[in-house]
Amino acid sequence: MRGPVLDVEDGAARLGLKGPRAAEWLEAQGAGVPAGPNRWRRSPFGAAQRFLVARLGHTEFFLEDEEGGTALATVAAALDAAPLGVYPVLHEDFAFQMSGEGVHDALAQVCNVNFAALDLDSQPLVMTLMIGVAVLVVPEGADAARQYRFWCDPTFGPTLSEALGTVVVECGGTIRGVTA
Amino acid sequence: MMYRLEPQPHEWIDRSAPIEFSFEDRPCRGYAGDTISSALAVSEPYLARSFKYHRPRGILSFANHDSNTLFQVDGVPNVRGDVTPLRSGMRVLAVNTFGGLAHDRGRILDRCARFLPVGFYYKAFHSKRLFPRWERMIRSLTGLGRVTLGAERRLTPKRYAFCDVLVIGAGPSGLGAALAAAAAGARVALVDEAPRLGGASVVSAAERAELDAMIDEVSRSERIAVLTGTVAAGCYADHWVALAEPERMTKMRAQAVVFATGVIEQPAVFRNNDLPGVMLASGAWRLVERHGIAPGRQVTVVAANLEAYVLAHALTARGVRIVAIVDLRAEPESGAEAAACAAAGIKILQRHAPYEALAGAGGGVGALVAAPLDTAGRVDARDRRRLDCDCVLMSVGWAAAAQLLSQAGGVTEFSEPLRQFVPKELPPGLYAAGRLNGVYEYAARSADGRRAGAEAAAHAGFGTAVPASVPRTSRSPSHPFPIFPHPAAKNFVDFDEDLQVKDLENAVQEGFDSSELMKRYSTVGMGPSQGKHSHMNALRILARARGLKVRDLGLTTFRPMYQPMPLKLLAGRSFNVERRTPIDARHGSLGAVWMPAGNWRRPEYYAVAGESREQSIAAEVEAVRARLGLIDVGTLGKIEIHGPDAGALLDRVYAGKYADMKVGTTRYGLMLDESGVIVDDGVIARLGAERFYFTTTTSGSAAVFRELQRWNALWGLDCVLVNVTGHRAAFNFAGPASRDVLAALTDVDLGEAAFPFLAAREGRVAGAPARLMRVGFVGELGYEIHVPASSASTVWQALYEAGLPGGLRPFGVEAQRILRLEKGHLIVSQDTDGLTDPFEANARWAVSMKKPFFVGQRSLRILEARGPRQKLVGIEVLESAQAPKECHLIIDGDAIGGRVTSIARSRVLGKTIGLAMLAPQLAEVGREIRIRADGGELIAARVVKTPFYDPENARQRIGGAA
Repeated sequence: MRGPVLDVEDGAARLGLKGPRAAEWLEAQGAGVPAGPNRWRRSPFGAAQRFLVARLGHTEFFLEDEEGGTALATVAAALDAAPLGVYPVLHEDFAFQMSGEGVHDALAQVCNVNFAALDLDSQPLVMTLMIGVAVLVVPEGADAARQYRFWCDPTFGPTLSEALGTVVVECGGTIRGVTA
Repeated sequence: MMYRLEPQPHEWIDRSAPIEFSFEDRPCRGYAGDTISSALAVSEPYLARSFKYHRPRGILSFANHDSNTLFQVDGVPNVRGDVTPLRSGMRVLAVNTFGGLAHDRGRILDRCARFLPVGFYYKAFHSKRLFPRWERMIRSLTGLGRVTLGAERRLTPKRYAFCDVLVIGAGPSGLGAALAAAAAGARVALVDEAPRLGGASVVSAAERAELDAMIDEVSRSERIAVLTGTVAAGCYADHWVALAEPERMTKMRAQAVVFATGVIEQPAVFRNNDLPGVMLASGAWRLVERHGIAPGRQVTVVAANLEAYVLAHALTARGVRIVAIVDLRAEPESGAEAAACAAAGIKILQRHAPYEALAGAGGGVGALVAAPLDTAGRVDARDRRRLDCDCVLMSVGWAAAAQLLSQAGGVTEFSEPLRQFVPKELPPGLYAAGRLNGVYEYAARSADGRRAGAEAAAHAGFGTAVPASVPRTSRSPSHPFPIFPHPAAKNFVDFDEDLQVKDLENAVQEGFDSSELMKRYSTVGMGPSQGKHSHMNALRILARARGLKVRDLGLTTFRPMYQPMPLKLLAGRSFNVERRTPIDARHGSLGAVWMPAGNWRRPEYYAVAGESREQSIAAEVEAVRARLGLIDVGTLGKIEIHGPDAGALLDRVYAGKYADMKVGTTRYGLMLDESGVIVDDGVIARLGAERFYFTTTTSGSAAVFRELQRWNALWGLDCVLVNVTGHRAAFNFAGPASRDVLAALTDVDLGEAAFPFLAAREGRVAGAPARLMRVGFVGELGYEIHVPASSASTVWQALYEAGLPGGLRPFGVEAQRILRLEKGHLIVSQDTDGLTDPFEANARWAVSMKKPFFVGQRSLRILEARGPRQKLVGIEVLESAQAPKECHLIIDGDAIGGRVTSIARSRVLGKTIGLAMLAPQLAEVGREIRIRADGGELIAARVVKTPFYDPENARQRIGGAA
């Protein structure tokens, strides 16, 4: 497929953690934690599951299940015990993905981060603004297979996706997912 | 008259591709590759009328450095003719005319110049009584192009881009810089306003070959991105440069920037130096080289540098007759071109000046009158000599194009030997090269560019070798004072603003004797060209008038944009990212009429067939008072605080007491800034021993969260904040029937004892985990229900359907405003302003001054001792046909005594009620006040107690006695 692709996603379970003991608690649950802030990793969980762990700060994490995964339900259940110094954060984010040929041209029209220059080996996590909306970005893949996953406050979702869709289509791209 | 030459070796036009267009509704023809100006130059005696005196004007700079060649093109105003490519079918009109270019009625103003001296508007328009007349007259006379108000909005993209080294200017120095930086391994962006690389200066044949070789090398480099037809419009902090293409704005961020922006040719100032046919030599060279156009058939050159001779020689070689070279200098020019001119028999008048230009038939120049200069540089008008010609070329000097460099933080100084401002101090990562840097010789410019490019690349982390610096040119190509008086004036310094020498001299005489003051008083440099052709000469005049050197005078501040910029490029796509609650679609299906609330869209009311707006709003109010209403309040800020110090943080940032709240209760919170001014409010619920949940105003959530984060970090408290504004939805389910209807949907015990007024509970509503708060913003029994955004639609629909049989209506923002007004509840920032403290807002009850500390407490102590300057009170309007509006003033005698902050007709009370901020002496309950309404009518009102409705709050405790 030629041109950038905007995929509007839905359905994945998400959860946040915040608090001075969030990192050690998460590790105690068997989840791998990125070594420092502004990093992410896919963490093994149990025998067969993985979920995304994004470290937003020293004491703040964003977690997302893989499609069809149930790992976060286990984590959430453990949080019901109100562990000391760990606080749950409700995440009902609007999520989307951008990829494809010319994705950087489309991104350059809406965001001032030089995505093409990111060193993906270090698994960077980007927190920035996209046409004024705060977004969390996880870049993945090499070269032509580069793709970016975004999360933002859900109340911005409809108009942000409309604006992005306009840019993507003008760049000769395609929109997929719930707003296609 | 200009005419087309035989095809030129490097011309840009395609003579096999003629283009038809119209000018002033007459058919014209040009070629592909022409600009509007070049196409018109060969057929039109003049192209425009000047701004103030409506004098005929032709091409001056052919570089977009003056406003002579602005046009109205296909309805678009102020299109820059010098640089806008010709298109087939263009309808080109002159701007700033009354009745067309040829018959412009405004030309009468040229005869009124003596009545329009510099600063005349300051002296003439001081009468308030007459000002409206002057205003109308000036508005009708001024302005250039006409804005087409009905024009279609043109959306243009903006983008961000990145490079290691940005080179601005693609002449010999810019090309050299780009090649050197690329050779070091840097990614380079090379920008030039012209559509082709190579720059704009006069070059010899040998230099042309070298230039072509560099252009070829640049074009083949994979590391150099070439952006031609692109204006570097402004430089900002951290090496951000705005790059404007015709249909796109790029925000370029570079590690290092090389300014190879060159110099701008300056005119000589003599009487009638604005006649069509009098133009800058560099402009003539561009016409010849790029468009194959001779600037005239008989040309006189006014000279003060070598370029004049190079150009004269080049024109002679193309068959143009050079009438004479009027050289301002005492010393003859040396070099091959000067010798060639002499050999060709060209008359050279050494140490002569242009005394005046004379108009010929058709309005263009017909002759130049030259006169000798004495040793002091004064014109000896007794020995005048007439030189018949149809073109006068001025080659008397240059000014550094240092605008962008200065915007970026570069500091310049005036070089006396060079008679030019040159870079003195450059911030790290910025470099200057070429003629901007005072290096004029062709080979040296290229070398200086390579030096700057290598340094820029090294700054960006590519290479370490730094070539030796290139010395500046020793002989100045600029005359120190190419300005010549004439008793009849019309010797123009600023062509944009029709400013003559005497205008600037008068400004100095009247005390406006600094460059900044003179600019503002005389408007020199304030036209579309922003002083590109007038700034240096204005400084020279100012320096001479004050007996100073140019170096003693400061430059005025250069600000973006460097060139006039279409507003569409600044507006871009006008993204408007509006927030929508999770049940936005449900509102739409219910007939919501939208209104903006901060950056949200909210239902103002729900339209119902057969009802007017007012009827729908009244019906929504009535439903809440009598039965049941449902409103989406998800736009409220929603913040959680967790941790042992959560209560302590709230105690410090809100004016009330919260650490002592019992779990399951709510309390009103008033947030102040350090000066004691109300900045936000909300409801705070204690959900656990170390867990609070609170709301903020719709527009305040982000600011409040940010401020609390800041305080928490400063104080180092053991608690964390979570902003869940967008992740939780919230509804207010209010009305006498709310408890009964909600009871069927929730597992929470809603009984009065189990869930009293101002309590908070957690449970499930319609199957979704929910937080419920029994609060009374609208003054009825009601519940605020907060659920995760993903459950919002389900819960809303369940509440709506459950309430419908009992007469539920969804209600919007307007109904809520009336309902809360009836209760006398204030809205922060509507009923308060940027100075309102709690004492003034009648909110003393929400402040606990006994606490050891809270933000704003110290100021409140001072304010309390001082007493209020104003008081927020309730008012009711006495009999009146006209209802006052919000912001109408309260009149106390002949003074302003306050203003209405909220007002509405209350059907349940049968009167118009409101809140007003009044001077304390007017705020006594029972006092009559007068409100000045639209048209000046004074409406009587009375100060009353609040709440207006249900002062005992009995409605919020319906069922409490059961």
